[in-house]
Amino acid sequence: MIWKRKHILDIESLSREEISHILHTAKPMKEVLLRPLKKLPTLRGKSVLHLFYEASTRTRTSFETAGKILGADTGSIAVAQSSVSKGESLLDTAKTLAAMQVDLVVIRHTSAGAAAFLSEHLKIGIINAGDGQHAHPTQALLDMFTLQENLGDLAGKKIVIVGDILHSRVARSNVCGLTKMGAEVTLVGPPTLLPPELKVLGARLSHVLDTELPGADAVMALRLQLERQQSGLFPSLREYSRLYGLSGQRLEKTGKKTLVLHPGPMNRGVEITSELANSHYAKIEEQVTNGVAVRMALIYLLVGGTNNVMA
Amino acid sequence: MLWLKNAEVVDPAQDLLALSDILVKDGKILEISAFFSEETVRSRAGGEEIKIIDGRGRLLFPGLIDVHTHLREPGQEEKEDIASGAQAAVRGGFTSILAMANTKPVVDRRALVEFVIAQAKRAGLARVYPVAAVTKGMNGQELTEMIDLAQGGAVGFSDDGRGIQSAEVMRLALEYAKLTGLPLISHCEDDDLAGGGIVHKGLASARLGLKGIPSCSESIMVARDLMLAEETGGSLHLAHISCKQSVDLIRQAKQKGLNVTAEVNPHHLIFCDENITLTATSFKVNPPLRTADDREALLEALLDGTIDMLATDHAPHTWEEKTRPFAEAPFGINGLETSLAAVWQYLVTTGKLPVRRLTEAWSLAPARRFNLAGGSLKPGQAADMVLFDPDCSATIKAEDLASKSQNTPFLNQEFKGFPVMTWVGGCLVSQLTEKSGIMA
Repeated sequence: MIWKRKHILDIESLSREEISHILHTAKPMKEVLLRPLKKLPTLRGKSVLHLFYEASTRTRTSFETAGKILGADTGSIAVAQSSVSKGESLLDTAKTLAAMQVDLVVIRHTSAGAAAFLSEHLKIGIINAGDGQHAHPTQALLDMFTLQENLGDLAGKKIVIVGDILHSRVARSNVCGLTKMGAEVTLVGPPTLLPPELKVLGARLSHVLDTELPGADAVMALRLQLERQQSGLFPSLREYSRLYGLSGQRLEKTGKKTLVLHPGPMNRGVEITSELANSHYAKIEEQVTNGVAVRMALIYLLVGGTNNVMA
Repeated sequence: MLWLKNAEVVDPAQDLLALSDILVKDGKILEISAFFSEETVRSRAGGEEIKIIDGRGRLLFPGLIDVHTHLREPGQEEKEDIASGAQAAVRGGFTSILAMANTKPVVDRRALVEFVIAQAKRAGLARVYPVAAVTKGMNGQELTEMIDLAQGGAVGFSDDGRGIQSAEVMRLALEYAKLTGLPLISHCEDDDLAGGGIVHKGLASARLGLKGIPSCSESIMVARDLMLAEETGGSLHLAHISCKQSVDLIRQAKQKGLNVTAEVNPHHLIFCDENITLTATSFKVNPPLRTADDREALLEALLDGTIDMLATDHAPHTWEEKTRPFAEAPFGINGLETSLAAVWQYLVTTGKLPVRRLTEAWSLAPARRFNLAGGSLKPGQAADMVLFDPDCSATIKAEDLASKSQNTPFLNQEFKGFPVMTWVGGCLVSQLTEKSGIMA
């Protein structure tokens, strides 16, 4: 297909074909990544800037690595040491960067819609690396890539996502992408973290993990932000873990060799036991590797690629 | 003397909806009749010059009265000031407006009430009536000097912008305000339940990943305030009602005969949460746009009288404040210049809202509730009037607005039906011409 899209803002706006194309493009990217000498000249002379208003280790490093392997110049704005701390607005910061002829801005922001906002006001490409509780499209794409690598075609596959769905941009983007690819998604969590209006996302909702596990091809545990307890959203880690924590023993209920995913960073012993996280069921590090490959594909498509030819 | 001929006069106070002629002299309505002969008019003028306006094809309303505006002066004149707000008002068909107290500083002392009145006099356009705060600094704790404020010219009391969280403070305010005879205007919002939310808690909040504001954050406070009004016998006006649950409670309270009135904002009757997108910050308003069901319940309540009046909740904000990610933009919709045209377009021409009810809810009911001049075109009344042209088409353009801010979801929309002439006390204070860019 001919790639026309300039921004990656959310999964909602991507067609099934576009998702397939991204995942397809990520395959050769992963091969490059696994080479001993991982460097391409493809995007030499192009620049990618990372504008991160929220703490991040894996996403920012993943993007930077992806850009560097493709040969692009990459930069990062650490918001705390920037003019943002002098009160500069997001729009002015972004306009300033665009004026420096950057080719692509990767933004993470605490506010839903921040990436879409920039895409409306700037002429350059924007990738959303997480906006508030709205969307995290690159995470969903890397999760889909990982699932596809392990399960093949996602159509008809049963995927369970468990945890703090309400506050999770990862869950939101994953439900959207997985259902587009034909998977059956079930969201599981306590009623306080999985209110009924989330049915709008298009997945089945359930409050009981154990009844949803049988037949599951993959289970994705979400990070539980511990401060949610102080807000009264759940009574204790102990009870949460008892109801929604993943363990090897609990996973046996699926009756299958079920994959376990986690977007990280993990709270070991809360949403997932160490024993399970360290087991071969867990694809958590694979997710990280695939994250670089998927982001290489995205940067390539947005900045350099108008066709399917790979270096 | 002004002789306004052949206009379709809509005046619920006189049960009038008919082609009429109207005579205005010395700032007051002199006489109204189906027809005046030139002879009669000349004799009534008593030698005074007669100005004739032909109102054929147009409607004449008593000047609209908006009980809910934020004029931002003193303190936030970059958003609006009393003069620009009053100008926007008369352009939009409003001859009287109530200015809320949440300025900087808060209007909680007589000197500030008098300042607002003085600034409005300087502007000389719409009648501007100050609403004074219920509590000092709007901190929800100590009552203001309500008697002094009322004597200074306040027409009601409100901490609008924030709900009064303490039920005891609200109870005491309802009791004490009885001394003034003025209504207490309640902004019904439980801070805990609203909890820093951004849009209505429902499908939109789930879809957009924005924190939700549940309907109960309003209806719980409506229930509380109605109970307190019942117990104290105080006079209560409920601002910007947005959801069905509140409507049901108000309907019950009215059946009991409580001294309560309520208002609804045009945007809650026209839009719902389905209209919201992540970059459309002009839809960000508090209380939030709720569901389509709520919207229908509000319209039904306006039609059956459960909701007494329309009010804009005119809340101007600067371009730079609204040009931010959705969660960071301030709440508020600019309303004075666009609301009548929008309501006409969305509700009157579609047959949902009869013009008689529109006039009653936006002029007569507010005048009665807040004991203001205007509200009707009865002889002897101040000649506050609006001539409305249902055939005038125009596009709402940022550069044409008299308001200092442009935060309206109607920007760049074309409407048919605009107020074309507005009089306050018999003085023509606004006239739309081709030059002003608004007339088609």
